[in-house]
Amino acid sequence: MRSFLLRRVLLALATLWLASSLVFVFLLLLPGDPVQAILGLEASPAARQALERALGLDKPPWERYADWLTRTLRLDLGESIRYGKPVGELLGERISLTLALVLLGLGGALFLALPLALLALRFPMWDLALSGLMALLQSVPTFFLGVVLLYALAVHLPLFPASGFPGFSSPWEALRHLFLPALTLALSRAAILFRMARGSLLEVMGQDYIRTARAKGVPETWVLLKHALKPASLPLITVLGLEGGFLLTGAVVVEAVFALPGMGSLALTALEARDYPLLQGLVLVMAALIVLFNLLVDLLYGLLDPRVAYA
Amino acid sequence: MGKRLGLFLLVSLGLALAQPRGGELRVAILAEPPVLDPTASTSQEIPRMLYDNVLQGLVKFNEKGESVPALAERWQGSPSSLTWTFYLRRGVRFHNGAPFTAEDVIFKFNRARDPKSGHTHPEYYQDIQSVEAKDPYTVVFRLRQPNQDFLFNLARPDSVIGPKGRVEEQKTQPIGTGPFRFVAWERGVGVRLERFEGYYEPGLPYLDRVFFRFLPDPNAQLAALRAGDIQVIGLGVSPENALVLRRDPNFKVVTGFTTTEITVGMNNSRPPFNDLRVRRAIQHAVDKKALVEGVMLGFGTPIGSHRSPGERCYEDLSGYYPYDPARARALLQEAGYGPNNPLRFTFTLAAPYPYERRLGEAIAAQLAQMGVQARLEVVEWATWLSRVFRGADYQMTIIGHSEPHDIGIYANPNYYFRYDSPRFRELYTRYLRTPDPQQACEIMKEMQRLLAQDAVNLWVMNAPYIAAMRKEVMGWWQNQPTPSLNVTRVYLSR
Repeated sequence: MRSFLLRRVLLALATLWLASSLVFVFLLLLPGDPVQAILGLEASPAARQALERALGLDKPPWERYADWLTRTLRLDLGESIRYGKPVGELLGERISLTLALVLLGLGGALFLALPLALLALRFPMWDLALSGLMALLQSVPTFFLGVVLLYALAVHLPLFPASGFPGFSSPWEALRHLFLPALTLALSRAAILFRMARGSLLEVMGQDYIRTARAKGVPETWVLLKHALKPASLPLITVLGLEGGFLLTGAVVVEAVFALPGMGSLALTALEARDYPLLQGLVLVMAALIVLFNLLVDLLYGLLDPRVAYA
Repeated sequence: MGKRLGLFLLVSLGLALAQPRGGELRVAILAEPPVLDPTASTSQEIPRMLYDNVLQGLVKFNEKGESVPALAERWQGSPSSLTWTFYLRRGVRFHNGAPFTAEDVIFKFNRARDPKSGHTHPEYYQDIQSVEAKDPYTVVFRLRQPNQDFLFNLARPDSVIGPKGRVEEQKTQPIGTGPFRFVAWERGVGVRLERFEGYYEPGLPYLDRVFFRFLPDPNAQLAALRAGDIQVIGLGVSPENALVLRRDPNFKVVTGFTTTEITVGMNNSRPPFNDLRVRRAIQHAVDKKALVEGVMLGFGTPIGSHRSPGERCYEDLSGYYPYDPARARALLQEAGYGPNNPLRFTFTLAAPYPYERRLGEAIAAQLAQMGVQARLEVVEWATWLSRVFRGADYQMTIIGHSEPHDIGIYANPNYYFRYDSPRFRELYTRYLRTPDPQQACEIMKEMQRLLAQDAVNLWVMNAPYIAAMRKEVMGWWQNQPTPSLNVTRVYLSR
């Protein structure tokens, strides 16, 4: 177990290093520069030079890369070019909202998908309708779904606030503001989880031990819940881990639609301003979160399936 | 006289009483600025929220775009226009309680004209030789040479005055003398202002609180307005949304002029646009009225040179090159282009600007009818800035020039149009150095005619100012002569 963890952590670090180095290279290839974005149209050449020096952009790329790497190893993510504040501080302000959104979205997706999959299996008449509905949900773009929900549940039926976030100081208000965005994410991801759950349940239902259970006279619903659900949820866990990563990227769109001050909207601003340090910090943190999700999945796997051994 | 004054006071008192005080106004703006000090960054979002609401200068722009007294009660220029005396308003306090005096003015302008201080646009102040105080309420500016734009520059957002010695803190905690004081900047969410009880104009402002919310997505803005999260979309409502909201009795739409010239920029130093005949052919080939009606659903005013109808010394040249396809074809033929050898070029559009992108597409379609093949290329803003704006690496592009009174850019041959005209430069210098405003105006008009004659760019239209709000919101500025959303006299009718 310990050597397994160590290996995973080393692998995670390598992944992070690779991801952020790739971002560094891509940013170099991307046209546009942050200095112009800060100084505006009418900047004098002297002002440009001064700012470039101040930001360290006058140095050659490899030197900037080495600087960045050594600083990152000391857990210093540098200073944002646009905001003039430490990147870590900016991320700290935003990360809780995005994490809350992703976890709510993930939980919501599971909460929707699993019962519906069980329902589809239990009552074959519903299967077609539910599968059709889920296929539709999967094909609708997230932003469109978001706007539809926004108009339905915030504008026409003013049940929830349309946008913005008041902070976590009053948890009830925070939850109200997060409800629609999380629902958007949950609906868009529920489709894939539903299909996954349905598929793996179907597979399990064909196993011998299910036949045995049925032969013993266990009621069908009980067969589903007691004997089929646990083994069928294993592949679901894998998908859930992957979905965590998807949700993180999907959150960018949802944050834009609902004007939430999370990491997604920060990433959009950073990209627009060519704020290199901020973008790199964001990618690093997002990559770390995805790696973390996958690690959790692996560990959960062992808890749920005794056949998996950590070697 | 006394009677009249009395009557005037009575009427204004009545008006003030008729305007219910109090309440909170929530206004959507498109983006979050990097800092909150207009002297530290040129982001237009800063003055949008803070200019004249929180931060003020000696002079300010009114709704018509005229320079009127703000912290200076009055001023006097010497006959030579080299010495300017400003008489400061007495009894003014900053939001932190400190009195406003000549010291603050001197600190401000010594910093502003020092290129090393990091102040935005030191070039606006480079003609200032010295700033001195005669007494705590009189400041004398001495100029090296006359500058026709001196007062205008003093009214710019860059010229706002903060407490003496306070520079770094102004970026995140701005303190000014305006009707509202800054309360909080919630990162990624918005900026909160509150009525400043010590404001020098009695009875102002009417509102208790103002919340500027950052809502980058136009759909999110519209939804928030309909859901009641905000009461005003401060600017940039699309023509379609404006028409929809106009039909809804709960909302109203305010339209007016801006200082934005939507400009089809042509690279005057590069083929095919280094040929005057080609540039003129383009002018005749584009039907601006059809663009206003078809693309902008009737919002916007055609223009014919780099100046907006709301700015002083405007010369209407929108008919200088009438829409005339035959004339355009003839000019193109003269330049060597015809059905067998069509005019081809790349037309670069900046992705984040919807008006410009739509207009660009429509213009390309109009040109296509003439047999001109404009290949559309959409680039991101940062790319546009570095490639088109800074590198002049383009053939044709389209962008809104929103700076007020910015015709001086044509005097810079390195500007991205690459328009190199000694005649224009001479006119511009003469304009700047002419003390008499009337004469200067004549020169300004001649400059506009020269630009039209040289067909430097295709000036499509003055971008409309379109704001939408709930019907209770009163006193919103109809026009947009500055980037500011001025809420000093806004109130909510109940």
